[in-house]
Amino acid sequence: MLRKLMKHEFRATGRIMLPLYLILIVTSFGANLTTRGLLSTEYRILDVLGVLLVMAFAIAIVAVCVMSMVVMVQRFYKNLLQDEGYVMMTLPVSVHQQIWSKLIVSAVWFAATVLMIILACCIVAFNVEFVDEFFHFIGDIFRGIMREDAYFIANGTAFAVEGIVLCFLGSCAMCLQFYAALAVGHSSANHKMVWSVGMFFLFQFVIQFLGSMLVILADGTGLDVFLTNFLPQFNGVAAMHAVLIFCIVLTVIYGAIFYAVTTFFLKKRLNLE
Amino acid sequence: MSILECKDLCKNYGRVPALDQVSFTVEPGRIVGLLGPNGSGKTTLIKLANGLLTPSSGEILVCGMAPGKESHACVSYLPERTAIPTWMSARQLLDFYEDFYADFRRDAAEEMLAHLNIQAGQRIKQMSKGTREKVQLIMVMSRAAKLYLLDEPIGGVDPATRDYILSTIIGNYNPEAAVVISTHLISDVEKVLDEVIFINQGRMVLQSSVDQIREEKGMSVDELFREVFRC
Amino acid sequence: MKWLFSNDAPIYTQLIQQIKVGIVSGAFPPGERLPSVRDLATEAGVNPNTMQRALMELERDGLVYTQRTAGRFVTEDKNMIEQAKRSLAERHLKTFLTAMLRLGFQREEIIDLLRQESGEEGMTHVDSGV
Repeated sequence: MLRKLMKHEFRATGRIMLPLYLILIVTSFGANLTTRGLLSTEYRILDVLGVLLVMAFAIAIVAVCVMSMVVMVQRFYKNLLQDEGYVMMTLPVSVHQQIWSKLIVSAVWFAATVLMIILACCIVAFNVEFVDEFFHFIGDIFRGIMREDAYFIANGTAFAVEGIVLCFLGSCAMCLQFYAALAVGHSSANHKMVWSVGMFFLFQFVIQFLGSMLVILADGTGLDVFLTNFLPQFNGVAAMHAVLIFCIVLTVIYGAIFYAVTTFFLKKRLNLE
Repeated sequence: MSILECKDLCKNYGRVPALDQVSFTVEPGRIVGLLGPNGSGKTTLIKLANGLLTPSSGEILVCGMAPGKESHACVSYLPERTAIPTWMSARQLLDFYEDFYADFRRDAAEEMLAHLNIQAGQRIKQMSKGTREKVQLIMVMSRAAKLYLLDEPIGGVDPATRDYILSTIIGNYNPEAAVVISTHLISDVEKVLDEVIFINQGRMVLQSSVDQIREEKGMSVDELFREVFRC
Repeated sequence: MKWLFSNDAPIYTQLIQQIKVGIVSGAFPPGERLPSVRDLATEAGVNPNTMQRALMELERDGLVYTQRTAGRFVTEDKNMIEQAKRSLAERHLKTFLTAMLRLGFQREEIIDLLRQESGEEGMTHVDSGV
C-alpha cells in the first residue's frame, strides 16, 4: 500500500515539479548564452537580453526551491487535513504509511531539486574549459587517494558525505516539523491555520532553546578535557567527525519526535472540518 | 454478526457533548436512516464509524472491528462534502479507487459515468458542483462494501439527481451489506428505508422499522419526525 | 406502472394493493413472469426488503407463485384474479359511499347521480390507490 500511496503522491506532485524543472533547464540554456559572450558584444540590446536571461535563471532557481517547500507543506495540509482528508484518511492504509509516503516523496523532490540546480548550473557554465577542469578535478581526487595525502582526501570525502547525509536528514526532519505543526494546529476546533503557524514557531523555539542548552552544558562539563586527555588519537579531524555524527544522531532524534507527534495527532486527535 | 455496533458511545467536543450514550446495531441487509435535525450528532456518529474521530468513551465496532485500516477496507463512505481530489480526471480517480480498494468494480463505475454522460478524461475541477457530487457517489456505490455510510447523500441536489441516487442505492442492494443514510430530508428517503434511528442533541430517541411506525402510529416517518422534533 | 404512496398506511400493504391492481388491470398478465424483487423495488423506489415482504404476502394469498429456479409468476387462475378484482372494487365502493354519505346524499340519490354520470361520458378515471 505504501507503494501505491507513493505512486499517487508522485502523480500529484510531479505535475507541479516536473514543469518547474523543465523551466529551470530552459532558462539555464538561456543563461548559458549570456556566459558565452552576450555581454561582451557592442550591441546594447544583446546586453539587456543577456541580463534578462540571467535574471530569469535566478528566478527559476528560487522558484524551484520555494515550490519544493510549498508543495511539501501544501500536500500534507490539503491532502490530509482539508476536504481531501475525508477520502485519504478513510483509505485502508495506516497513518504511518500516509506520513512515510508524504515524507519520502518530499525528500525525493528535495534531492531532485538539488540535482537539477547543479545540472542547471553546469549547463550555464558549460564550455570546453569548464568540462576539462571538472574532469581534472575528479582525476585529482582519485590520484590523491592513491598517493600518501590519501588521509586528507579520504577525510574530506567523509566530511562531504556526512555533510550531505546531515543536510538530507535535516530536511526530512524539517518536513516532519512542518507536519507535526500542521497536525497539532488542525486538531483545534477553529483558527486551525493560526494554531499551526503558532505551533511551528513554538517547536522552533523549543529546539533552539534545547540546542543552546546543549552547547552550554557541553562547555561546562569538561567533556572536551576528558576527550583530549584520555584519548591520545582524538585530534581536530576526529573531533569534527564526532560533531557531525553527533549532529546526525540529534537530527534523527528530532525527526523521530516530530514523527511521533504527527502520528499521535492524526490518529487520536484528527478533527477535519 | 452486526455490521455496525455502538455501545454507550459518547463523544465530547471540549466540554460540549456531541453524542451521549448512543447504543444500537445495524444488521446485514438493512437500509437504515439516521435521522435528526441539523447539529444532532449524525455526522459525528458517521465520522466515528470512519475513524475520523475517536470516541470519548464507549465503543463503536464496524464489521466487529474498531475503526482503522482494516475496517476502512469494508466501509464505503460518502462524506457530506465533496472530498475527491479535484486535480484528477475521472479516469485517474477510477485508477485511484481501483488501486486502494480490492472491492472496487471499475466496470460498474464506468457504466454509471457513461450513463450520466460524464467524460472520463474530464478533470473533476472542471465539473459543476452537482456533477462532482455524482462522481463521488459513483465511486462510493461502485464498491462491493459491507457497510455504506452515506452522509447527507441527497442534500443540495436537484430532484432528478435525488431519484437517481436513491435508485442507485436500491439497485445496489446486497443482502450481506448494510446501508446507513444520514439525512433530514425524510419524506424523500422514507420508502427506501427498512429502519430509522432518530437522534436529537446527541441522544438516541428511537429505533424502529418504517412499517412498524406506519402501522402503530398511523402516520409516515416524516410526520412522526415533525411531531417528535416540534420546535 | 405508476407507483403512488400515501402517508397513513404501511408501505408494504400499499405495495400489495398496487400489485393487485397491476394484476387485475392486466399490467401483469396471468401466467406472466414478474420482474425480480430488485427491479420491482427500483421501479417503485422502495426498499427491496419491503417489496419482498409484499410479494410474500401476495404469494400467501395465492395471487403469485414461485418456481424454484425461474422466479415469480402471476397466477393463471382466472377465478382468483376475478375475486381480487371484486374485492378491490368493493373497497373503492366503500370509500366512495362513505364520502358521499358524509356529503349528505341518500343511497337513491347516489345511484341516480351515478346513472347520469355514466350515461353522459361513461366511467372516466378510477384512481388506482386505496
